[in-house]
Amino acid sequence: MSADERIIEAREIAKTFPGGVVALDRFTLAVRRGEVVVIIIGPSGSGKSTFLRCLNGLEEIDGGSIVIDGIPLDHHRKNRLLIRQEVGMVFQSFNLFPHMTVRENIDLAQIRVRKKTRTDAAETTMSLLAKVGITEKADRYPHELSGGQQQRVAIARALAMSPKVMLFDEATSALDPEMIGEVLDVMRTLAAEGMTMVVVTHEMGFAREAGDRIVFMENGRIVEEGETERFFAAPREERTHAFLGQIL
Amino acid sequence: MTKNKIRFTPLDAVLIVLMLAAGLFLVRRIGVDLNYRWQWPVTLQYLVRMDGGSWTAGSLAQGFLTTVKLSLWATALATLLGTILGLMRVSHSLFDRLVAGSYVEMVRNLPPLVLVFIVYFFIGDRIMTLLGIEGLIRSASPATQAVLTFLFAPPARLSGFFAGLATLVLYEAAYITEIVRAGIQSIEQGQWEAAHALGLSRRQQLRYVILPQALQRILPALAGQLISTIKDSAIVSVISIPELTFQGLELMSATYLTFEIWITITALYFILTFTFSIGVRRLESSMQTKSSAG
Ligand SMILES: Nc1ncnc2c1ncn2[C@@H]1O[C@H](COP(=O)(O)OP(=O)(O)OP(=O)(O)O)[C@@H](O)[C@H]1O
Ligand SMILES: [Mg+2]
Repeated sequence: MSADERIIEAREIAKTFPGGVVALDRFTLAVRRGEVVVIIIGPSGSGKSTFLRCLNGLEEIDGGSIVIDGIPLDHHRKNRLLIRQEVGMVFQSFNLFPHMTVRENIDLAQIRVRKKTRTDAAETTMSLLAKVGITEKADRYPHELSGGQQQRVAIARALAMSPKVMLFDEATSALDPEMIGEVLDVMRTLAAEGMTMVVVTHEMGFAREAGDRIVFMENGRIVEEGETERFFAAPREERTHAFLGQIL
Repeated sequence: MTKNKIRFTPLDAVLIVLMLAAGLFLVRRIGVDLNYRWQWPVTLQYLVRMDGGSWTAGSLAQGFLTTVKLSLWATALATLLGTILGLMRVSHSLFDRLVAGSYVEMVRNLPPLVLVFIVYFFIGDRIMTLLGIEGLIRSASPATQAVLTFLFAPPARLSGFFAGLATLVLYEAAYITEIVRAGIQSIEQGQWEAAHALGLSRRQQLRYVILPQALQRILPALAGQLISTIKDSAIVSVISIPELTFQGLELMSATYLTFEIWITITALYFILTFTFSIGVRRLESSMQTKSSAG
């Protein structure tokens, strides 16, 4: 596999937090162009969030290299900014901007970063709201929405940048059970459209059905990875057996 | 939100009567024992007086006006400076943080009176002369002079007014810096991260996401700082800015109406600060109802 066949290439990345916690221990993961859903699973504290956050520069890596869509995540401001613009992220806690309406949340980066006109931005915003199924809430403030609706807006907001990759960090973990489905549905739609996604989740049903590849990590390393069907049917590692036994 | 209704009970009436009696007793004792002759009508003339058929502001009213101008300008400019320094306090650059941090520490650990003299003698006097500002003002057109008088002070007093204003701005800015810093730091990390992930530059993150929320949160504290500024403004009387306290001192040495003058001045300061306190409380409760909707 040559370098430009990869949309994400993380090679031997290391991250140690102040205080000595090794969150990523020479972690290597590559995602091919055209590969759609990569699911990351693993016990709490295994470094899943840290890995996603390193991919868009929310955390600095101590060693190794990250290249996204051919752009190295190095110390050049320009590159870092470019990568942030090409990588969308959805957080567990939604993080909508509370002082802006739904529409303004989604417009913001289109206008300020992509430099679109207000009319163009408004058009994209409405079509994205239609996609996540909440056009009627366009002029509401985030606190007037349910958790599931807020998370769908957050997805639309990230999509508004037309990112090449979307990162989901436990996007449904903060939701009441009855709202998980509506968010997963949106993620399925994205997968069907071929959006490359790296998804950290505890929703094994979703992982099985939507994932192309499963990566199981622990202590900042990959324990086992494999194509979804094979991974769940015949895990090779002892540790994977034990983990799947616990959560399935 | 439960509202505490203020109910007026007979006990309150008794207390008010007792307090009035005590006050009257005190006034009488001062008159009899200290042989003090109350001269309220004369004193009130220094507030407003009839002059050739029209009402004119006396020296106390003029001092009051100067205090108001001084406080409003000082708060506005200190908010500007404090916001810049507050941003520096949370900057990624160590240099910015050091500069702003040292500034805050220096000002807060200096007696305000010393700060007044430093600004007045070293900065005010020299820089004003150096820049030739006084000459510039004197040669300005009458219209310009009128505008300057309305906004700040009459031409002859302008450089003194600016020195006093500069002191207050430098002093209050140190406190506003800390208010702004605390406001910015009170915004959840997730807001920064979401803005970061959308590809906004740090400047844009601050401008569109963080500051609007932070400023909304610190508005009551900023308004409270205005009240402090009104009180602190008395200190510039030592460099002869004719604000309320200075006018009181002048009048007292000319008339010896000690009690009347200071009672009047107390009342004037109280009216000013109390009016603003009520405003601040209104603001706070209206913001509370707004955010509790969320
Ligand atoms: N800002 C931080 N400072 C210090 N240690 C941190 C920080 N963030 C994460 N860690 C530590 O790094 C390790 C990996 O954390 P990370 O959040 O990546 O785990 P995770 O796999 O996402 O776990 P979870 O399933 O609980 O979300 C943990 O031991 C955590 O305590
Ligand atoms: Mg996590």
